[in-house]
Amino acid sequence: MLEAVSSVISSAGELAKTSEVINSATPAVQPGAATVGFNNVLEQVAADAIGSIKAGEAASIQSIHGKLSAQKVVEAVMSAERSLQMAVAVRDKVVQAYQEVSRMAI
Amino acid sequence: MIDPLQASVQIASSGLEAQSTRLRVVSENLANANSTGRTPGSDPYRRKTTTFTAEMDRAAGVRMVKVKDVGTDQAPFRVDYEPGHPAADPTGYVKLPNVNSLIEMGDMRETNRSFEANLQVIKQVRSMVSMTIDLLRS
Repeated sequence: MLEAVSSVISSAGELAKTSEVINSATPAVQPGAATVGFNNVLEQVAADAIGSIKAGEAASIQSIHGKLSAQKVVEAVMSAERSLQMAVAVRDKVVQAYQEVSRMAI
Repeated sequence: MIDPLQASVQIASSGLEAQSTRLRVVSENLANANSTGRTPGSDPYRRKTTTFTAEMDRAAGVRMVKVKDVGTDQAPFRVDYEPGHPAADPTGYVKLPNVNSLIEMGDMRETNRSFEANLQVIKQVRSMVSMTIDLLRS
């Protein structure tokens, strides 16, 4: 989780650098390099979030059937909640970066 | 290697699980504090005890807590003079369980405290994680 946060932050930093470079109107910009890394991070975070949310749902359903203890359910649901928060935060960051770029004066 | 914060939640969760088992055993003891045998001279309910052990979780690389086994207390039974009882021996004495309600109450309170401590760990982890994720916002 923490690794993911730090990599997202550094990717966002790279993106910002890229936009700075674009801003200074240098023709030799390769935005592809930063985009691939960022995409990968995004993909991994999304997959993580979906997986743990699914686990949380499955645990909740099992607890309704009385097959799982409350502790396990809380653990799974907390993990899902955490992943969801993480995914939302990353999405907000991405949208923010996109808006920064789109508001750029050309 | 798993995220240490995630591991803390798992460890605390294993503690919650272990304490739940302990409470189950305490409740069994309390409920059976007066359960005698059925035939003359037979043994009554014997008090159960819980022992814990540290267990290595290979996937997470941490040591979880686990109930080692639910054993029985070998202390002698209480006896009561009650000749009309179905479980009374020829001399009229009935064997009663070796359960002491005060000890069980103390055990129950201790279980409660351990459970609370583990819950507190989970709360702490949650607040630390959300503080970290909040770094992305702003």
